[in-house]
Amino acid sequence: MRRRDFLRNSTAILGTGFAGVSLPATLWAQETPVTGGTLIWGHSETTQNLDMHQTGTASSGRVLQNIHSSIVTVDKDLNVIPGLCESFEVAPDGLSYTFKLRPNVKFHNGAVMTSADVKYSFERCKDPATGAVNFEVFNNVASIETPDDLTVVIKMSAVNAPFLSRLAENGAGVVMPVDSGPTQGTNPMGAGPFKFVSYEVGTVVKMARHDDYWEGPSYLDAVEAREITEPTTRLTGLRTGELHMINDIPLDRVGELQADAGLQVKTWFPLNFDFVNMNHTFEPFKDKRVRVAFDMIIDKEALMEGALWGQGATTASPSFPTSAAYNKDLKQRAQDIEGAKAMLAEAGYPEGSLNIVFKATTNYPYHIETAQILVEWFKMAGVNLTIEQLTWADWLSQCWVDKDYQMTMMNFFTLWESDFLYYSVWNSTGAFNYRAINDPVIDELTAKARVTVDDAERAKIYQAVQQQIWDESHDILLWFRNGTIGAQPAVMGLDTVVHPNGSNLNFHKVWLKA
Amino acid sequence: MKRFKTTKGMIGIILLLLIALVAIVGPMVIPPDAATAMDMRARRAPPSLTHIFGTDQLGRDLMYRVILGTRTSLEIAVSAVVMSIVLGLPLGLISGYFGGFVDNVLMRLVDTLLAFPALLLALTISAVLGPNIQNTIIAIGVAFTPYLARIIRGEALRVAQMPYVEAARSAGTTDLMIMWRHVLPNILPAVIVQGTISLAFAILAEAGLSFLGLGTQPPAASWGLMIQASRDQLDIAPWTALVPGLAVALTVLGLNMFGDVLRDILDPRSK
Amino acid sequence: MTYVLNRLLSVILTLFLITLVTFAVTNILPGDVAMMIMGTQSNPEALAGLRESLGLNDPLLVQYGHWVGGMISGDWGNSLIFKKPIFELLAQKAAASAIIVAMSMIIALALAVPLGVWAAVHRDKWQDTVSSTSALMGVSLPDFFWGILMILVFARWLGWFPSSGFVDPAENFLGTLRHAFLPSLALGLGLMAHLTRMTRSTMTGILNQEFIRVARAKGLAERTVIWRYALANAIGPVITIAGLQIGYLFGSIIVMESLFGYTGMGWLTYQALLNRDLPLIQSTVFVIAAVVMLTNLAVDLLYVVIDPRIRLG
Repeated sequence: MRRRDFLRNSTAILGTGFAGVSLPATLWAQETPVTGGTLIWGHSETTQNLDMHQTGTASSGRVLQNIHSSIVTVDKDLNVIPGLCESFEVAPDGLSYTFKLRPNVKFHNGAVMTSADVKYSFERCKDPATGAVNFEVFNNVASIETPDDLTVVIKMSAVNAPFLSRLAENGAGVVMPVDSGPTQGTNPMGAGPFKFVSYEVGTVVKMARHDDYWEGPSYLDAVEAREITEPTTRLTGLRTGELHMINDIPLDRVGELQADAGLQVKTWFPLNFDFVNMNHTFEPFKDKRVRVAFDMIIDKEALMEGALWGQGATTASPSFPTSAAYNKDLKQRAQDIEGAKAMLAEAGYPEGSLNIVFKATTNYPYHIETAQILVEWFKMAGVNLTIEQLTWADWLSQCWVDKDYQMTMMNFFTLWESDFLYYSVWNSTGAFNYRAINDPVIDELTAKARVTVDDAERAKIYQAVQQQIWDESHDILLWFRNGTIGAQPAVMGLDTVVHPNGSNLNFHKVWLKA
Repeated sequence: MKRFKTTKGMIGIILLLLIALVAIVGPMVIPPDAATAMDMRARRAPPSLTHIFGTDQLGRDLMYRVILGTRTSLEIAVSAVVMSIVLGLPLGLISGYFGGFVDNVLMRLVDTLLAFPALLLALTISAVLGPNIQNTIIAIGVAFTPYLARIIRGEALRVAQMPYVEAARSAGTTDLMIMWRHVLPNILPAVIVQGTISLAFAILAEAGLSFLGLGTQPPAASWGLMIQASRDQLDIAPWTALVPGLAVALTVLGLNMFGDVLRDILDPRSK
Repeated sequence: MTYVLNRLLSVILTLFLITLVTFAVTNILPGDVAMMIMGTQSNPEALAGLRESLGLNDPLLVQYGHWVGGMISGDWGNSLIFKKPIFELLAQKAAASAIIVAMSMIIALALAVPLGVWAAVHRDKWQDTVSSTSALMGVSLPDFFWGILMILVFARWLGWFPSSGFVDPAENFLGTLRHAFLPSLALGLGLMAHLTRMTRSTMTGILNQEFIRVARAKGLAERTVIWRYALANAIGPVITIAGLQIGYLFGSIIVMESLFGYTGMGWLTYQALLNRDLPLIQSTVFVIAAVVMLTNLAVDLLYVVIDPRIRLG
């Protein structure tokens, strides 16, 4: 097995964050950006609902990132910084937030943003009738006051420490013009760097420069997001010059493209983390020894090399490596088939007695590859694993909602905010607890973090949560997967494209060299 | 005419015999884990002495996989066609023999189903039932039933008007007896021909369903699944597609050739 | 005339049955669109809210009545996943698919007719073998396999045609044709075998007929006899058979359009199915089934015109 040396000291790299751009050396020289041109982007997924509040898919969010701006945002280290507001202030008791808005921010319709727009947007998100994905962010909001045009005061009925961080994602923090709600789904309008022009289902989303963008106009005249879901066709499009840029290079092709001097490749991580899930209501998985033994069966680095072609980094913690909460001391269990066998026998499952169905979704082809490799290792440990491929709809309904599975795996994008991550995924009442995990220790810690206002203190609590997840082997954390972009040499400013959340793409600072 | 037909028939029969041999004997002689054993040092290895047909993206030997895939693909195709005959035969027979109101009702139903493209029907059934081998068989079997029923009805309608059927009827033979003794034997040739040709379509349909992830489940091998896995690597590892593609092509070709000849022998009216 | 009337009545009945089957089947599909919209960001409360706002909680009978009533009155509702009026979506995508269907039909006929004629003229000679074997080759590979090969050869290696995508015909008609060509070619190859066989057998029958012998006896050039006289008589049945393949084509475009990122009806149907966008699935499937029905009807009626002996469907 060919392994990359950097993986051996992955934590060192995790600590500093990792982004690599392979470019011919000459292109590194600073050049003056020029204005003009239309960027043709080969987008890997189909854009669906264009209403920022209603869309939960990464694909739509990736496009809408260019159309909308949020009240706050995050820097590279995931610290919350002002966005559409000039400054924000949290009361010491954590029960009120005051935002001073930037003056003269213009929406795409020419209207100037005021506190009324903020109030409208947040209330729209909070209203259950909107069907907003992130409506619960506003659960503790008692009132939204607008003392003047540029001041917004949000009063909370109870402390919700992660509130501000949650506003940094467009799904909750977006500001849209008053009363634009009904048309957002067909004609999204906000204060982002590009105006929405047109959308042809399954084909293309067209956007044009917003000259009055509050951070200054973009260089590009327009962006065309062409939807090309077939990975090889996307690759071919880039090679033949039909496309300026593509996201999501097939993982097995990254190396090949990097070797091509005629193209740029940008990889970064994390795009998402992946983990193997065991249903805690399934009898064998109620026993911690079985879960730990299963963890021991898996050689995570070999698996990453096999399924991701080395395009990622293994991790024992799901926290973004750039975040303060990342527990650097956790190490993954090493592969130990004999040890696992012994532990399974001790738990009452001797060789050949465990037959388990592994449900994997075809939505992520590398999950199918992962499952196939797992089958071989589990066979060596005397566990018979059978794969069932599910479409995305079936996976969601069977595994996510009905919890009707024994073993599966999933990934999560953009869960950089610790409360959103740990409370939702591992708290027994969490919205994303589809494994039916019920661990009082985690419940207590995640609840405590919610009301802990001090950031450093909160980070410590989350590190303890990670330790507990690992000790109990509630899930088997695998890796952070790399995000990838391939582009023509003429596309400049690729470094600025990826949002710190690892998923969204923003073309504000991108330009095309003549 | 005769000579060409026989050569063509011979080629068809030889192809089919070879494939059947592979499907039956293959799994007995190759090591049990050979089709799923992975070699990460030899991913996408081109054909060589160690791997005669090369390896796939997980370093699995394509020769073993295509041999085991023969078994899976044929099993599904044959079962599905048998199922569609079992369902379609009574439908078509009753409809064609009795005619009139029964025929009208049954054929409206069949027409309704025929209006849905077979693949779309199979796709939907598969989505409802969930993906595994049995359900793939059901999906293809049900999707093919209306076609079989249509053809059998036409045949039954023709035979039912034959003088010997009339004679039997006036002699007081029961309908069931007439259908069993006179109609069925006379439509059987057409059923066999249609069955052979349906087999070819069933193999393509299995490939299509597996291609969309709704058929055979990995790591088991089937031709459609292998082609599906190959589509993202066709330009750098063409053998991963050509090996299963060729297997499908030869089988379908064999079936079609054989079916053509069979048609000429058994069912001389339709040229 | 009674035959035609009967036929029309049965079509209306069948169309009604199609709405029932479509509605029933789509409603037993596991999963729902609200889940697909929210994905792994969903939580039970948000899901409930979204379901309500999408009208998924209405009783089934109300939904069915709403759907059929809406279709008759011209209000086809909105796609839940794409947030667009279904009628508008369908009209646009059906036009895109019509191009592929027509093009693959033309390609198939352009290949099959000469091959079939050639085989019929040189019946039982090597030309016949070559013709029937090459026609069989087309149908021996799954059409998506042809599609993959086309992408590889014509887009990746030769670079003659774009590998994927769809261009609005109103913007650039030539571009649309260029994008439609490879999927059409792949489909046409699969379609060809059947048509070649039909052409051959029809031509064989006609070449044995009296008027051909008379034409030959008159000393007309063999080429004229075959192409002017024989083919003119054979083309009717061949085109009829071709018409009956429309249903097969509509099944095939589901895979083919998805493979080529050509966003027509097939693509739309598959997306609707994947996303459990029930109103959209119902309408796309209904339209496909109706088109198949109506083409079959047209073919049948054409048959009556051509061959008045036929009375029974």
